[in-house]
Amino acid sequence: METKLIDHLFRHHSGKMVSVLTRIFGLKHLEIIEDAVQDTFIKASLSWRTKQPENPEAWLTQAAKNRVLDIFRKLKTEQKHLPNFNQGTDAIALSDLFLDTEIEDAQLRMIFTACHPKLDPRDRISFALKTVSGFSIKEISSALLTKEDTIKKRLSRAKKAVQDSNIQFEIPKGKSLSQRLESVMEVLYLIFNEGFHSNKKEQLIRKDLCREALRLTQLLLKNNLTRTPEVYALCAVMCFHSSRLETKTSTENELLDLKNQDRSKWYWPLIKLGNTMMNKAVETNAFSCYHYEAAIAAEHLKARTFEATDWDKILYWYQCLNILQPMPSNVLTMAVICMQKQDFKMANTYLEQLKPEDFNQRSYLYYGTLSDYYHGINNLDKACKFLDLALTHVSNDLEKDYLIKKNLLLNRKK
Amino acid sequence: MKEFMMIFIGADYTELGLSPEDLQNRMGKWFAWNDKMTAAGVVSHGNALTPQIRRVVGANRTVTDLTSAEVKEIVGGYYIVKANDFDEVEKIAEDYPDYDLGGTVEIREIMVFDQ
Repeated sequence: METKLIDHLFRHHSGKMVSVLTRIFGLKHLEIIEDAVQDTFIKASLSWRTKQPENPEAWLTQAAKNRVLDIFRKLKTEQKHLPNFNQGTDAIALSDLFLDTEIEDAQLRMIFTACHPKLDPRDRISFALKTVSGFSIKEISSALLTKEDTIKKRLSRAKKAVQDSNIQFEIPKGKSLSQRLESVMEVLYLIFNEGFHSNKKEQLIRKDLCREALRLTQLLLKNNLTRTPEVYALCAVMCFHSSRLETKTSTENELLDLKNQDRSKWYWPLIKLGNTMMNKAVETNAFSCYHYEAAIAAEHLKARTFEATDWDKILYWYQCLNILQPMPSNVLTMAVICMQKQDFKMANTYLEQLKPEDFNQRSYLYYGTLSDYYHGINNLDKACKFLDLALTHVSNDLEKDYLIKKNLLLNRKK
Repeated sequence: MKEFMMIFIGADYTELGLSPEDLQNRMGKWFAWNDKMTAAGVVSHGNALTPQIRRVVGANRTVTDLTSAEVKEIVGGYYIVKANDFDEVEKIAEDYPDYDLGGTVEIREIMVFDQ
């Protein structure tokens, strides 16, 4: 008999188990809970080697239930504060906590905890990936291109903030919900973008991040409280971008811009799902940044060829986005769009609003665009000068290769 | 046909800090290996061992409890397989999944005492 498990079964179940057990024992016992869950998966991986259980998922759920007793005993012998199961208005039978809907509820609570405004923004992503998504420190460090020690520090700082601020393990209600939900969406979009834009040579972990962000966004959509037009729009953006994840780099792992991507390899099921999400997102007239970003991504996907791109529409969506959320990167993109339309005058007006400092470490993007601009108006000397500047400011290898290639072409023209 | 024991030494999962995803991938490789052996009809049985060790030593029967962290090379499990000779078992052992974690396979023939 062929034996195989569902992809990521352990990782996903690890997040579920940690969430449910935290709902039972409280955030102050998170460490004990994480150890117990880790131990479960080690034991499963050893004892399943020779004989896999008939229903692995049920096995894992039962294991989680058994951990409740283990942890209870451990806390009792250590004389730690024990939870009172019958207290509180939302008292619920212990066994019911392992129903799918209650597991999802617990996971949402964990997401809201990880994205709590009391946590340092830099710590939120790591904490979410660890507790909600079951990533190890090593996996987080490799996904975020950050040292393992830094991740360790972020995690312990996050845990300390959770304790110090006495953060409650709950889905916020009433007025605070929309504000807290905004923070959740921001973190999920950051996780997604880490995956989508990282250009890390190892593709697998990037896809994992995108997939994980999408999975958690879909989890938000399952709950009445968090099913909002904005979340639908966020989900649409992720679907649209994900559909071209495979075409972003060539087989030689070179970076490909939209112009050179193989459009036939865009993944249609995700585009379709994105469309469904988008239709739900526009059922009301309140548009968020995610709505405009989804509209922009959709517009790119609509074009059968790069030349068929409707730049006027895209420019319009960017203008809307920039009114709602003014950012130098939006202005830079608008300049690029104008150049696509051969409107160099307008491009110049946008470029004049910007300074390299606006882009911090990513100033190479600004210089690269300036170079394209001067190339466009046939000022090759200046085009070369700015491309050189871009090259001195770029750190990512793939982006660097891309710029070097451009430089060669430019110098040949000269 | 003779019977051989493959003894797996080292590569202790509890000490390696593997993530749930790592563990599942590792297990997938063990499944594949097990499937392959089962299909070939060579495997008779096998087991994994927990990392707790109680050691009884010497004439005084001195007892010590150890964990995997205190033992350099812990035996993590075994398989009994049927094969004609060591070379055949060596071939089977090529697919052992944990060499990259520093694991070792020791092959021993099960003694049959002919009168």
